[in-house]
Amino acid sequence: MAALPLLLAWLAGCSSEPAPRDTHAPVSDNGEISSFFYSLLLYLDAAILAIVVAVWAYALVKFKKQAGDDTLPEQSHGNMKLEVIWTAIPTLIVVAITVPMLVGVFQMSKRHDPNQPVVEVDVTGKQWWWEFDYKSGSAAGLHTANELHLPADTAVTLHMTSADVIHAWWVPRLGGKRDANPGRNYPMSFTAKAPGIYDGQCAELCGSSHALMGTKLVVHPLAAEVEVDYKGQKVKLESYETWVKAQLQPAKPPVAELEKGLKLFKERTCPSCHLINGLEGTDIAARSATSGPNLTHVGSRMAIAANTLVNNPENIAKWISKPSAVKPGSKMPDGLVTPEDAKTIAAFLSSLK
Amino acid sequence: MASVADFAQAQAPVYHQERPAKSGLVDWLTTVDHKKIGILYGSAGLFWLLIGGLEALLFRLQLAKPDQDLFIGNQYNGLVTMHATTMVFLAVMPMIAGFSNYFVPLMIGARDVAFPRLNAFSWYTFLFGSLVINASIVFAHFPAGGWTGYAPLSTRAYGNDGMDFWWAGLVLLAISSMVAGVNFVVTILNMRAPGMTLMRVPVLAWMMLVIQFLLAFSFPPVAVGLIFLAFDRTFGAVFYESAMGGDPHLWQHLFWLFGHPEVYVLILPSMGIVSEVLPVFARRPLFGQHAVIFSGVFIGFVGFGVWGHHMFTAGMGPIADAVFAATTAVIAIPTGVKIFNWLGTLWGGKLTFPVPMLFAISFIPMFTIGGLSGVMHANAPLDLQQHDSYFVVAHFHYVLVGGALQGLFSGIYFYFPKITGKMLSEGLGKAHFWLFLLGMNITFWPMHDLGNRGMPRRIFTYPADAGWNFDNMLGTVGVFFMAAGTLLMVYNIFTSMKNGKTAGRDPWDANTLEWMTESPPPAHNFDFTPVVFSERPLFDHKHSEDLAIPVPHEAEQIHMPSYSWKPLVVASGALLVILGLLLLNLAPMLWLISVAGALTVVVGIYQWVTEPV
Repeated sequence: MAALPLLLAWLAGCSSEPAPRDTHAPVSDNGEISSFFYSLLLYLDAAILAIVVAVWAYALVKFKKQAGDDTLPEQSHGNMKLEVIWTAIPTLIVVAITVPMLVGVFQMSKRHDPNQPVVEVDVTGKQWWWEFDYKSGSAAGLHTANELHLPADTAVTLHMTSADVIHAWWVPRLGGKRDANPGRNYPMSFTAKAPGIYDGQCAELCGSSHALMGTKLVVHPLAAEVEVDYKGQKVKLESYETWVKAQLQPAKPPVAELEKGLKLFKERTCPSCHLINGLEGTDIAARSATSGPNLTHVGSRMAIAANTLVNNPENIAKWISKPSAVKPGSKMPDGLVTPEDAKTIAAFLSSLK
Repeated sequence: MASVADFAQAQAPVYHQERPAKSGLVDWLTTVDHKKIGILYGSAGLFWLLIGGLEALLFRLQLAKPDQDLFIGNQYNGLVTMHATTMVFLAVMPMIAGFSNYFVPLMIGARDVAFPRLNAFSWYTFLFGSLVINASIVFAHFPAGGWTGYAPLSTRAYGNDGMDFWWAGLVLLAISSMVAGVNFVVTILNMRAPGMTLMRVPVLAWMMLVIQFLLAFSFPPVAVGLIFLAFDRTFGAVFYESAMGGDPHLWQHLFWLFGHPEVYVLILPSMGIVSEVLPVFARRPLFGQHAVIFSGVFIGFVGFGVWGHHMFTAGMGPIADAVFAATTAVIAIPTGVKIFNWLGTLWGGKLTFPVPMLFAISFIPMFTIGGLSGVMHANAPLDLQQHDSYFVVAHFHYVLVGGALQGLFSGIYFYFPKITGKMLSEGLGKAHFWLFLLGMNITFWPMHDLGNRGMPRRIFTYPADAGWNFDNMLGTVGVFFMAAGTLLMVYNIFTSMKNGKTAGRDPWDANTLEWMTESPPPAHNFDFTPVVFSERPLFDHKHSEDLAIPVPHEAEQIHMPSYSWKPLVVASGALLVILGLLLLNLAPMLWLISVAGALTVVVGIYQWVTEPV
């Protein structure tokens, strides 16, 4: 009994370990709706549980059979009045929570006013990474992978789909998840509020590397640069438009000492899956359901391999020399590059800021 | 006042049988006795419970710390898939079937089920199904598509040979459950003792009646889904292939149209057991018996209209989300009614606390916790966060472990004396209870917090800086407590079978017909036809002056069904049909196995029909 409030406090999120993906520290309008219902139902559930446990515990102590007492207690078969009361009260509670819930369902399925500026992005789940294709506004035509960059305080609609199995794109601090279904295109509309960097990952079992299908949401300020806290470190976030401008630039030809990396990149058939905009011989691949991430600005990403490894030349070399060791079942084949070549290619890729 | 000993006055009669029963192994292979089939089901359920628990223990080791590599990728996915498949279909359902087989005929005062050979057929198709699913480990590897088998991950395009064994085994289990459902509905509706009106049927038998309807009506949709999947995997059909005009949502609807009633199949029998156990150890009738029964029936009906709450994130659109969210919230009402009536039963009683009672009373708060988190999931806007997170894992383990499994444990300690004639050790039982209660809370309570902290389910590893380390370590520690408790129970069963205290007919001073006869009951169950005047027939006999002890029947008045090989033959035929399809991918000519199986089924059914019973 005494443990009960303690357990509830824990449930309310009072553990000392930091929770960078706390579902109840929402940064979007959708997340706030979910969080509101969580708080509401947590208090309601706690009250009901406390009443049930209190009656239960009292009965267990109070009505324990006394030694030597072999008489039968009163043989009551029930009480109609009580039955009516404890059917009616839960019914009223259910009605009371269902009505606002139905309002919430429609709020979370709202569509943005098409006359307002809306950032629209196609989100495609692939085994085991995320592709983001920007459809509107200044970023139209931009393709990137795993790290979704959005402006703060702007209406956003993501269109969820999949190139293979069902995935679900979930950034807990942003709010709810939506499944990415092959052959379907389901919208998820929201407005992100606080600039920052938020981790997330696939939430629908999608095969052997489901656990390693991470994603990052980077919410940029609309205008001036801001400093945000990410895992205890200060990170500067430029404005959304600055980020878009940089990302739309084609890749610059590598400096002399990195040219070998580009050469190996081409020789080892990497361009058959990975595009680098602007470099001759690396843009031969038609974008298709099976193609891999666009690498034009891979050096500017915080992580690689779908938010699995920190982005640095050592990790890129580790990843491309034996992908299956990083991600079981990875679609990028093992043995395409030797560990030595991998280092050379990694140095080149890291330079693609 | 009469005592149960008075029922023992008669010389046990010899019953009439077309062919005398065999003995030894052949007896167990050919038996149509509902009690023996119940023991077979229950033993199989306990065996798979241990296997399913071992699978959980292995993947909890992997999750104890971040970035481990004990079981990664599809090894881990296979363990998770098999843990759930095993626990749902091969552990809890057969344990329920065991209680249903053994006790429903005894509780309603019948000699056997309505179709004894069909009952044996259900057992064999279950046994073969369970073996086929697990044979995947020998021939290929574990199915790794999750117990929900979501297409298109489960289809041929994504390999995963284990899923062949999964659909094949589940088709057999579906046949088993549909057949058993019809059998028990007919039994309960038609074979009650004189005077046992429907409202005098014990609550456990009532809940069994409800779930048999659920089985009979909810397995057909998933059987269709599984056969679509089989056609996809075997013949390249494209029911779930969106690029070819199929639809992955089709699978989800077919699966959850089964899957949600299935949840009530798992929990209602335990609610029935609790409703039997509480009145016995509170020494008073179940409070509001009719309300408890009707709320169970109501749950059964509404259970068919809520499946969409498993698909709030799938993208059904706000109208469907709203409808399913509202119907799901309604389920809270009958569930609450049951909980309040159990409290009402305790209130004003004279409580004693032997092991069955311990599990039954702890069922109440543990199940309540699971029910209340269910109220959260019914809230679609909140569920968009909680779906596929560890919060859901916590929820259904409170319902299925704190609820269903604790109820079944209560039933095992309560009914073991009737089945074996021996009492289980109270001391070991209490150790089991406390270890298990502690372990399940250490494991599953922190999972609520994990879900709140954004941890998705079914991931084989997690980063060290996500804030999930402490809770996951607890989750792994708790499993060892649960495992120790369960092993104590198994040890208890084996030692008590030999050395336990003799139970007698009515060791708990209980109320219902099954305690009127010997422990273990004779093949014909009762020497006399019980006559029922209330929902507590044995209580009436023990506490009223004027109820006569029924007169035993003469030997020739009792006809018992004879043993039969035919259920085994027909079930083997069904197994061969499935195996042929399953192995088709290895060598094309193996379809001949299916043809042989189909012929076996036809010939077997012909012999079955013409065999004298």
